[in-house]
Amino acid sequence: MTGPVDELRAAPGGARELPERWAPEERDTLPGVGWAWQAITGALVLVLLTLHMIANHFVVQGGLRDYQQVIAYITNPIILPLETLFLVVVSWHGLLGLRAVVFDFGLSARAERIVTRVFVVVWLATIAYGVTLLAILVTRP
Amino acid sequence: MTDRTAPTGRTALPDATAPSRARRRGVAGWVDVRGRRLGGWAFILNRVTGLGVLFYLYLHLLVLSQLAIGPGAWDSLLKNWFLNPVFLVLDVVLLAGLLIHGLNGIRVSLVGFGLVVSRQKALLGAFGTIGAIVLLIGTLMFISHGG
Ligand code: HEM
Ligand code: HEM
Repeated sequence: MTGPVDELRAAPGGARELPERWAPEERDTLPGVGWAWQAITGALVLVLLTLHMIANHFVVQGGLRDYQQVIAYITNPIILPLETLFLVVVSWHGLLGLRAVVFDFGLSARAERIVTRVFVVVWLATIAYGVTLLAILVTRP
Repeated sequence: MTDRTAPTGRTALPDATAPSRARRRGVAGWVDVRGRRLGGWAFILNRVTGLGVLFYLYLHLLVLSQLAIGPGAWDSLLKNWFLNPVFLVLDVVLLAGLLIHGLNGIRVSLVGFGLVVSRQKALLGAFGTIGAIVLLIGTLMFISHGG
């Protein structure tokens, strides 16, 4: 099987050496799944982050939203789910990326499983924190 | 498992497809600058900016807790800190990191899924140009907002 990785390796200007996870044919666990997720969530982050930066930073008078403006923004019924989705996706993407960096240190299969579990917990905690914060702000009288 | 006869397979260009014994592991592997080509530099830059933005994300989430404390806490934070010129410079740094990482991410995704593989240099040039333009516009906007 010739995958995209082979083409990239053979292509002029491609990376001379690629990190371990780019070589699915040489790994016996979940070939390339992490990388595909990184790319897919990256694309989603791009859209949501662009919205986030424009809405919170560029279109605002003065450059940053004051308290009232933040509340007005997140109580919008279209914005609230989008910002929540952004929280979920960007933390997933970032932590998955950090996991890949940690894996490049060369861990045992057992250590990799533990690291993965720790990251899932951190991810869930991040979502819990962010959602709680949004809930406090949205429901405040 | 690998199809040795495929034209773009690992045997097609032996130099670009060094066996895994040559693959350096650990931090020393990914910061080792010897013999890197353009793609290798892009990889380091992507990693550094990705980690930097992840650090920013958690800092950002912590700062947002001031919103929960109330209007006074948030608004005085803005007035006394974030509208300060120093923070505007940090904003430019953040924007630059996001652009480098995001555009390189799209580039890697395209190539990784087998698209635009034969025009990689042109792709890099195009994305570099887009990034520079957006950074310039963003910086001008930060400045015009003033501290
Ligand atoms: C702006 C839109 C973004 C896009 C299109 C994007 C895309 C990507 C892609 C495709 C990769 C995989 C690169 C590779 O395997 O070589 C990646 C890695 C990574 N990303 Fe993003 N990303 C974006 C935003 C972010 C943000 C906001 C963060 C931080 C929260 C982040 C953190 C990371 C990390 C830590 C890695 C791992 C780096 C590595 O393995 O060397 N990314 N990104
Ligand atoms: C410097 C430009 C930025 C400004 C002015 C800004 C401002 C804000 C504000 C006012 C909020 C609270 C209201 C809301 O949910 O929209 C917020 C939330 C959030 N920001 Fe940003 N932000 C910036 C950049 C970023 C970046 C680069 C990231 C990702 C790495 C990010 C990730 C988030 C997330 C995930 C939330 C949701 C928090 C939650 O759900 O509780 N922001 N931002």
